[in-house]
Amino acid sequence: MMNNPVGSDTKKPEPAPVPILGGLILSGLRPVIAILLALLVSAILILAYGKNPLEAYAALLAGSVGSLPAIANTLVRTVPLLLGGLGVAFAFQAGLLNVGIEGQLYIGAAAATTVGLIPLPVPPILHLTLAVLAGFLGGALWGFVPAYLKAYRGVSEIVTTLMLNYVGIYVVSYLVHEPAPLAEKDTFFPMSPPILPGAHLPILLPGTSLHSGILLGIVLVFVTHFVLRYTPFGFKVRMTGQNPEAARYAGIQVPRLLMIVLLISAGFGGLAGTGEVLGLKLRLFDFFSTGLGYDAIGVALLANANPIGVLFSALFFGALRAGANMMQITVGIDTPIAEVIQALAVLFVIAIGFGERVRVTRQQKKPAALVEKGSPQ
Amino acid sequence: MGQSESIVLQLQDITKRFPGVLACNQVNFELKAGEVHGLLGENGAGKSTLMNILYGLHHPDSGEILLNGQKVHITSPKIARNLGIGMVHQHFMLVENLTGLENVILGLPTERPPLLDLEKAKARFVKLTEEYDLRLDPSTPVWQLPVGDQQWLEILKLLFQDMRVLILDEPTAVLAPSQVQKLFHTIDRLTDEGRSVIFISHKLEEIKQIAERVTVMRDGHVVGTVPVKDATPTQLAQMMVGRSVVLQRRPRLPVESRREVLVIDHLHCLNDRGTPALRDVGLKVCSGEILGVAGVDGNGQRELAECIAGLRRQTDGTIRINGELVEGVLQDTSLLGYVPEDRRKTGLVLSFDVAENLVMKKYPEKPFTNKNVLQWDRIRSWSDQLIEEYDIRTPNSMVPVKHLSGGNQQKVVVARETVSEPALLVTSQPTRGLDLGAVDSVHQILIRERNRGAAVIFISTELPEVLALSDRIIVMFKGEIMGELDGEKADVNVIGEWMLGHRSEKQTPIENRYDE
Repeated sequence: MMNNPVGSDTKKPEPAPVPILGGLILSGLRPVIAILLALLVSAILILAYGKNPLEAYAALLAGSVGSLPAIANTLVRTVPLLLGGLGVAFAFQAGLLNVGIEGQLYIGAAAATTVGLIPLPVPPILHLTLAVLAGFLGGALWGFVPAYLKAYRGVSEIVTTLMLNYVGIYVVSYLVHEPAPLAEKDTFFPMSPPILPGAHLPILLPGTSLHSGILLGIVLVFVTHFVLRYTPFGFKVRMTGQNPEAARYAGIQVPRLLMIVLLISAGFGGLAGTGEVLGLKLRLFDFFSTGLGYDAIGVALLANANPIGVLFSALFFGALRAGANMMQITVGIDTPIAEVIQALAVLFVIAIGFGERVRVTRQQKKPAALVEKGSPQ
Repeated sequence: MGQSESIVLQLQDITKRFPGVLACNQVNFELKAGEVHGLLGENGAGKSTLMNILYGLHHPDSGEILLNGQKVHITSPKIARNLGIGMVHQHFMLVENLTGLENVILGLPTERPPLLDLEKAKARFVKLTEEYDLRLDPSTPVWQLPVGDQQWLEILKLLFQDMRVLILDEPTAVLAPSQVQKLFHTIDRLTDEGRSVIFISHKLEEIKQIAERVTVMRDGHVVGTVPVKDATPTQLAQMMVGRSVVLQRRPRLPVESRREVLVIDHLHCLNDRGTPALRDVGLKVCSGEILGVAGVDGNGQRELAECIAGLRRQTDGTIRINGELVEGVLQDTSLLGYVPEDRRKTGLVLSFDVAENLVMKKYPEKPFTNKNVLQWDRIRSWSDQLIEEYDIRTPNSMVPVKHLSGGNQQKVVVARETVSEPALLVTSQPTRGLDLGAVDSVHQILIRERNRGAAVIFISTELPEVLALSDRIIVMFKGEIMGELDGEKADVNVIGEWMLGHRSEKQTPIENRYDE
């Protein structure tokens, strides 16, 4: 088409050196480095506490992967972090920060419990499916108002999703207190009646509490990955996340897309709660999640919002939670140290990412500065 | 107006070089006490650089600044303010969440640190507003103020600090005509008090009305300083746009059959600030022609392009491309190609790779999507083809576009927008910030598209480029089309006058050759 390829006779435009391979390796390595740094700093804390960090970490390892029950325990703890983390990561890909997983988790759990309590005249597999679906929809419902406000009214989703957490938690609290509809009668602790067996997530490893929620999580990891990478919808999501103005220019209806993404993300949050009630607790308890939804944010951040990365970072968080008990029993270090390690890992991964971005922009500033100052007005 | 002829400020042989550009070349400039001194020039002529040097934002490579005969080194805006030199930028420097009063005292020393002295400041604020008849409420947050009031506030900021030299960078751009008159009254008051004003504007009428002398800049140097009352608009326009070096006019094929591709009727729209950006624009563009849109930046060109692309809603009027009404963002890449003004912000997703950026508008189509699954193999091989065809310098299609040079980034945008052979191609400042080689290839592509039979709109503030490329030229001023010229015989001085909002009687008014 271009019969006169220009530029060949003029100097320049050589592309800038491209650190593509190095960049890839580094982005995969970043969480690992962050975790190692977190363990290092925590070791100092453990030392200051007067304990041996090596012993402590050995106990942590034993308690999380040292035996079959330990592994099962790790996986059980991974499930809600994985589902919730996926929700955060998915929204993050569109440039949204859903910090409302905790609330969506409670409402999702309540919805799943409700369906799980109704004696439906259907085969168990269908009953379970309906209950899981209800859990997803319950979460999505809890994301509806923030999604609408974000997409069509420009209200920050960070504030609205966060605030609705408290509402969600106390709505569920109300539901399991007598005389509310979901409350069990005459109990020492507010809870719902037991969920019907037909709606239970089957146990994978008899003798442990490892339920099939983990399979649901792993399947959804790959589904999410596929959607983001290989479907037009995922392409739109990523484009909107990277540059909403360019997305609008390319013909994407950005508000509608943001709405859909935040609903799906909240639905994942609902599934996180669903797994807990249908697989592990088998009842809806008052205040049953102790900040799982907030840990899910850390999971997504540590994984850089990459769905496959979420699987690994959820496993890491799960292992910490599982191993912390063993650490407390055998070495005598309080369990909060696990949370310290988590928090440090997330902080380090953010710090490393930030440092990288600064370096990249500094590299880019050089030619960019030339362009900007080239037209001094 | 001026009571004394004494010279307050002298800039001597100021030279400022940016990488690749000589922004100011041995510029001399002087300002008398009590004078309004107009500063005129095209975009990129060096006006802003010069004023930024005076205000301490840039430091000259050589040359001297004399204030009241004393040599001064202005290394920061703070020093400039201490010397009594203040500036109102074209884009206001106000903190939206603070009140008017808080903005005015922002950064000023207080008598009893660390506490603010709000009461005293407020009294002075009110006194100044009464004195200058500015009617501003000190306690209203800035974001609640209309744009005109924000302009007053900026000026009040300078008065509050008792500035002797005031630099006003296009102060009337955001004002309604009645407010402009009020501004001029205020400026008269200021000069009566012996203050001096440097008035940057692209509007000849305003300069004629308010300034005593005008300095014209072009390509980084001063063409001349003349008393306003002796200068004719033609003369000033000539000083502003006249050039010794003119780009070669691009050779082109004659195109026989023309049909109307774009028809715009009575188009009105608002800019981002909500003030009118286009007023009753009517325009027709035919297949096989390049319509050059000249004009000083910010006279509605960007809004016009965005309206055509469906990215901005018009308040009135219609736009038709090939007879089809534009209502919302156009998806059909064979109808419209649009190279937006800001490629980094709008035209590209910088973190996406070359292939992803190339397929950004076509990904839902076959063969790139099959059964709702993206076919990356197809996308990659198609991208490799485009990279070859458009000579995009990149190791491969998997490199993020942020790693490409500006020229190659623009080639990615141009390739994407022209590959579907659109009926209409709208390009907004497509060569801004590019090196010569890249400018050349963009020009060639535009000519090629025209010869293919596309209707091409080329919006640019670079007159030589408009002259080199266009079959027809229109000039925009304050959201209106000032007039139209034949690209072959266009008189650059006429364009210059129109750019400044001046139309002499003998010139043809707006007429559309293609009107029935």
